[in-house]
Amino acid sequence: MSYNILVVDDSRTTRAVIAKTLKLAEVPVNELYQAENGAEALEILNGNWVDLVLADINMPVMDGVEMIDRMSKDGLMKTVPVVIVSTEGSKTRIEEMRSKGVRAYVRKPFAPEVVKKIVGDILGDQNAE
Amino acid sequence: MNHIVGISEIKVTDQEDDVVLTYSLGSCLGITIYDPVARVGGMVHCMLPLSKIDQVKARKKPGMFVDTGIPALFEAAYRLGATKERIILKAAGASRILDEKGTFKIGDRNYATLRKILWKNNILIASEDVGGAVSRTMYLEMDTGRVIIKSQGNNTEL
Repeated sequence: MSYNILVVDDSRTTRAVIAKTLKLAEVPVNELYQAENGAEALEILNGNWVDLVLADINMPVMDGVEMIDRMSKDGLMKTVPVVIVSTEGSKTRIEEMRSKGVRAYVRKPFAPEVVKKIVGDILGDQNAE
Repeated sequence: MNHIVGISEIKVTDQEDDVVLTYSLGSCLGITIYDPVARVGGMVHCMLPLSKIDQVKARKKPGMFVDTGIPALFEAAYRLGATKERIILKAAGASRILDEKGTFKIGDRNYATLRKILWKNNILIASEDVGGAVSRTMYLEMDTGRVIIKSQGNNTEL
């Protein structure tokens, strides 16, 4: 089984680092979608099957908070697990997003092993279901 | 047979009854690799991060530095039949034991160099026990591939 993963970050470098991390972690990726902000991400989510979203918070056009908010109001999108990968570390922010279905939080800069573990746990859970 | 890896030394083996170990890892970095298919393993005990401070020594004793020790360890293991795709890498040490004020940050710098080299070479750390202000002894058991850390009277498996 392989997964469709969406990486949402306005930095191309960060997207490349996450892409490389997924490869090193040997996550079976079918399609790796990339978006520069929340609006682009929602568009991709609308038209494609996505198994996991890795998203930043602070982005131009539409930030991660609004994106997650909109996802949580959509019947299908709210079932897609989201992992936040961000420098933003405010506890209230994180708690708020967890209540909207965010599954995990990774603080930048991150060790690739941390992302490997979290992605593995989430996708492993899905396999078990 | 027990093989003791001294500071700046590298040891690789394909003998199942061997144990490769190193004592008193403080700010130094102990790195083990193990290929479970070829049953080849090895260890290096690196003292300093970068070889550019003394390239003559680095050529003589590549294990002294993290940036030369890791490639040398891998090459030695390749010669015994290990392959990069199968290698499991573990790390221990990089503490602040003699530098509690953090003046030199040798441990931190050793660890940062390790991370950089591994990222560049597409290798993830399978498991680690680094940092803090403790001394560690590291064992690689060749019959199982297990890595054991002994520190302050406790044994833990990495």
